[in-house]
Amino acid sequence: MMSDEHLLLKEAAGGDASALEALMSRYGSRVYRLAHGITRNSADAEEIVQDVFLQMVRKGGAFEGRAALGSWIYRVTTNVALNKRRGKRREVETSLEECLPTWEADGHRSGPRAFLVADWSGRPDAELLSGEARRILEEAIDRLPEHYRAVLVLKDVEELTNEDVAASIGDSVSAVKTRLHRARMALRELLTRRLGPQT
Amino acid sequence: MVCRDVNGLLVDYVDGALPPEVAAALEHHLAGCEPCRAYLATYRKTRALGARVARVEMPDEMRARLRQFLLERLG
Repeated sequence: MMSDEHLLLKEAAGGDASALEALMSRYGSRVYRLAHGITRNSADAEEIVQDVFLQMVRKGGAFEGRAALGSWIYRVTTNVALNKRRGKRREVETSLEECLPTWEADGHRSGPRAFLVADWSGRPDAELLSGEARRILEEAIDRLPEHYRAVLVLKDVEELTNEDVAASIGDSVSAVKTRLHRARMALRELLTRRLGPQT
Repeated sequence: MVCRDVNGLLVDYVDGALPPEVAAALEHHLAGCEPCRAYLATYRKTRALGARVARVEMPDEMRARLRQFLLERLG
């Protein structure tokens, strides 16, 4: 049996403006957030949203409905966004390695103790989401490779399950979890270098 | 369980996805390890802050442009 969303997609593909508007209303914001999350650029994100909805209209008739429509749309969005970013990779998207924790042979994290116990998590959100802290976070997100940003947005912004993120980007659950963890660790590290230890 | 083991489990721990016995072992470690407690607290906070900063909504005027663009092509 055809789902409500599947039917909307078929109708939009058949030229039904009200079906297209319903799909835009349901998915436009999500597509934009993901597109912007990957590209970090509003003009690029707008073009991606256009491309994704055009693909829905042009190819939606071929959608077989085996996967959830949401996953299919996220997957198309991710592919379009990553293609758009191809060749535009900036120098700032450097290796994450220098932002990941390092370990002693006995399994303890290495580094000065004052840094290891630095806990800035109790600071007010108003402080952490403005000024210098926000700038650090914005830059840290910019520095992530786009595949990592895709996972971060789908999991932490859109709050999908790991399985749904994996289905949306066409990768394994274990790869999703690895990227997510590395992305969060890198952001945490860069914030901690700026915010802690308290002096 | 050592700090490196704890770190490797955090992504599942903050999702509440660890088996109870593994979560209990991790929490036992946390109780005696200040660096891991600080790491977990800042990891959780980073997740929340990152979600808010990475969430950028489509501007209303862009939404109107998009609607116009698509309806023209549909016609």
